[in-house]
Amino acid sequence: MSRREVVEIKVGITSEHIVADTLPKLLLRNRENWGDRVAFRQKDLGIWQEWTWEDVYSEAKYFGLGLISLGLKRGETVGIIGENEPENFLSHYAAQAAGAKVVCLYPDVTPPEAQYLWDNSESVFIICEDQEQVDKALEVKDQLPRVKKIIYWDPRGMWKYTDPILMRFSEVQELGRKYDTEHPGVFEEGIAQGKPGDIAVLSYTSGTTGARPKGVIMSHGGLLDSACRVERRVIMKPFLQYLSYISPAWATEQMFGLTMGLHMPFILNFPEEPETVLENIREVGAEMLVFSPRQWESLSSTVQAKMLDGNFIQRSMYKRAMAIGTEVAQGRLAGRPAGIVARVIYPLIYLLVLRPLRDKLGLLKTISPVGGGSAMAPEIFYFFQAMGVKLRNMYGMTEIGLLTVHSGEHYSLETVGHFMQVDPAFGTPLEWRVEETGELLVRGGWGFDGYYRNAEATAERIKGDWFCTGDALALREDGEMVYLERVGDMRQLSTGVRFPPQFIEIRLRFSPFIKDVISLGDETKPFVSALINIDSETVGRWAEKRGIAYSTFPDLSQREQVRNLIKGEIDKVNQSLPSESRVLRFTNLPKELDPDEAELTRTRKLRRSFLEERFGNLINSIYEGKATFPTEVPVKYRDGRTGQVKTDVGITDTEAGKEVMK
Amino acid sequence: MVKVRRGEKLSYRLSGAARALDVEHAVILKVEDITLSFGRIKAVDGASFEARDGEILAIIGPNGAGKTSLLNCINGFYKPQQGHVYFQGKDISRLSPHKRAELGLGRTFQGLQVYEGMSVLDTIMSGRHIHMKLNPAQAFFYWPWVHKEELEHRLVVEEIIDFLEIEHIRKRPIGMLSYGLRKRVDLARALALEPKILLLDEPMAGMNLEEKEDLARFILDIHEGLGTPIVIVEHDMEVVMDIAHNIVVIDWGQVIAQGTPAEIRINPKVIEAYLGVSVT
Repeated sequence: MSRREVVEIKVGITSEHIVADTLPKLLLRNRENWGDRVAFRQKDLGIWQEWTWEDVYSEAKYFGLGLISLGLKRGETVGIIGENEPENFLSHYAAQAAGAKVVCLYPDVTPPEAQYLWDNSESVFIICEDQEQVDKALEVKDQLPRVKKIIYWDPRGMWKYTDPILMRFSEVQELGRKYDTEHPGVFEEGIAQGKPGDIAVLSYTSGTTGARPKGVIMSHGGLLDSACRVERRVIMKPFLQYLSYISPAWATEQMFGLTMGLHMPFILNFPEEPETVLENIREVGAEMLVFSPRQWESLSSTVQAKMLDGNFIQRSMYKRAMAIGTEVAQGRLAGRPAGIVARVIYPLIYLLVLRPLRDKLGLLKTISPVGGGSAMAPEIFYFFQAMGVKLRNMYGMTEIGLLTVHSGEHYSLETVGHFMQVDPAFGTPLEWRVEETGELLVRGGWGFDGYYRNAEATAERIKGDWFCTGDALALREDGEMVYLERVGDMRQLSTGVRFPPQFIEIRLRFSPFIKDVISLGDETKPFVSALINIDSETVGRWAEKRGIAYSTFPDLSQREQVRNLIKGEIDKVNQSLPSESRVLRFTNLPKELDPDEAELTRTRKLRRSFLEERFGNLINSIYEGKATFPTEVPVKYRDGRTGQVKTDVGITDTEAGKEVMK
Repeated sequence: MVKVRRGEKLSYRLSGAARALDVEHAVILKVEDITLSFGRIKAVDGASFEARDGEILAIIGPNGAGKTSLLNCINGFYKPQQGHVYFQGKDISRLSPHKRAELGLGRTFQGLQVYEGMSVLDTIMSGRHIHMKLNPAQAFFYWPWVHKEELEHRLVVEEIIDFLEIEHIRKRPIGMLSYGLRKRVDLARALALEPKILLLDEPMAGMNLEEKEDLARFILDIHEGLGTPIVIVEHDMEVVMDIAHNIVVIDWGQVIAQGTPAEIRINPKVIEAYLGVSVT
């Protein structure tokens, strides 16, 4: 008997805690138990419109039956692309109930990327949000012979499209209604046939390693395993207000919004538009938020940026309040009392400054804010902790689910928390060990389902019955795990010193003036240096205030004053680094890094090797000790044209750099 | 509680049933031999043209050619010394601008004519005023039926906000917005009138390339989605060539050419007017 079968049997006879072993069965349960309770809310026409579980179930049912009548079979794939909207989630429910699997794409992928993912996942239907996504699908449909229909839910701008492959979401539901009268019970039968080992989702890796994205198989059992792991560790309650903002193309939202949303269930709130999210968080009174560290960072930097506009009194009040809040938060997290002064005045400060600030950010009701994906700067943590928002770090992998999380009241901000517990229904408890290279190996729980149609890549990740995470983690004495780097990313200088490039980058990125950083240094280089992508908005405003005239981004980035500003920021971070691994030289990039140019992944992670190649000559100049570098950077505009940016890039020594040069 | 299913919104039938676009269309606006002079300067000199239902008609010409003057004659700001304007077969030459607006002539302005201190929502709401049936006294006491009417208008306004994708600035004061967004609010206000024809005065002036492309998209959406005929005055030839069905070219107050973009592109008179070079 294979391991998979064992687990399936186990799930079948599980503890009463687990009520259903697939996601569609949970949907059915929610409809039966809470048919008249609110499931979805979306702001439309300026008002929060509500869907009950009954509404959601019947919408999903007729859409699912529509797909079946159009020829969808069990085990096939349905592609979805669009923002987080009710139809996006309904498409997930419908396809999975019909026994199909889902591949969800980020709304900003380019047509060739989308074509690869749809082809690799063998999608037979493509469900698009609007005209923008339909255009992508139409552009590549000739290379996708399997695709039967392209379905869209927002008809705006689609008035003149006549391609017979196109169909409206509501038309498919109409077909479903007809199909239901002719073949009653098909939808419910489909749900009953589902098994926990069925593939629910293919989630593609972001391709940071340079190779083509691989489709990670996420089965119903694996998703439910992760959901149950989180439920045991994080404060949760049924029907809490959850704001769905991160894309379901990212495995995290599959685990939270889609799986936990059905399992708990949540009230799923969908923002009106991506631009209105900050406003919507506040209107919803979101109780649970799952953001990537970048999104938490941007939330905190909106405050930082606004404080720059404040007057002296406002700024000093904010600074003082934050300092006291941070002190109290540090005490609370470490489980020791903060200083007496701080403790006494904290309630007052909270009432006057921190609570209103928290209210403005819409975090007043937030009980479970979670950050996951990559490491987060401690400053970000303290920013939210100071105002009483108990932000928690979470660590996990698409391949084996969520692994660790900050739990309880006392935890350390440098860590990613404790290992979670697995419900026995899904498998053995999680076990882990750290290799000599620093790599974390894990086994237990539902386990790794493999990469889709890629046995070779699957085998690479498996060592006996252990799964190789490829991440370097360290265990602390108190049992919390510290995330260091990707194993391949810890780097050594030619002097033999090892340094943590990500740590440097994260710390620098916390500066409101810096948007992205690439830290340089390897066996061929004697010291650490950095390429900086300044934040045009905040630096622009900073320059305006000081009457510094500039024309374009390249011009702004190379201004003497701006270079000095950035130098100051780097000097600050250097103080917390050991002297051998400090940043000695840096340069401001004359253009912004852009996912459209493959410099960043869609989750805004840096494509390191690509960048080092693209800026190769500039990097050489830094290490040759030159002070300027004349360059021409190719730029691809959104409308497809290309151009050249010509400029002299200045290379600056930091204080630490000046000392060494002497 | 207003419950509207996505895609079933009224906005897609704001101006009545969407018209089939490829049928032969009636003339909706006819300008006949308009002459307007300021003292001895002839701003418009005997201009005549027709706009058909369901088309985008562009009026182009070099700076100072008399395009805006012509538009002002159509919507009644200027009273031409000679000539007639017919709207849906009716002579409207003697009507005041607000009467013409009530008939269904919506327009936007070249310079921004928006209330800086008002919110976006209120500004667009102000475009609804010709559809409001209640008087100030009733509004003051805010009877239940006033509330009901307010809701109806708000629904239309929200649909326009959705249509032009300005949800995120709904409650901001106009004075805080960028130029491109103000222009979009101006357009939203014109749409709130539920115009039977939309007159746009240099909507792209002062915009960057991306803003221009966005706006061109919105103009096409209004045309395709609402079926509203549009007269667009513009001196940026390139954008106009891409979106207009027919073009009227004006120079020195006179119509010097009329036709499809392809015809206009090769018309020697147009090339001369634009480049100032004689090609004969």
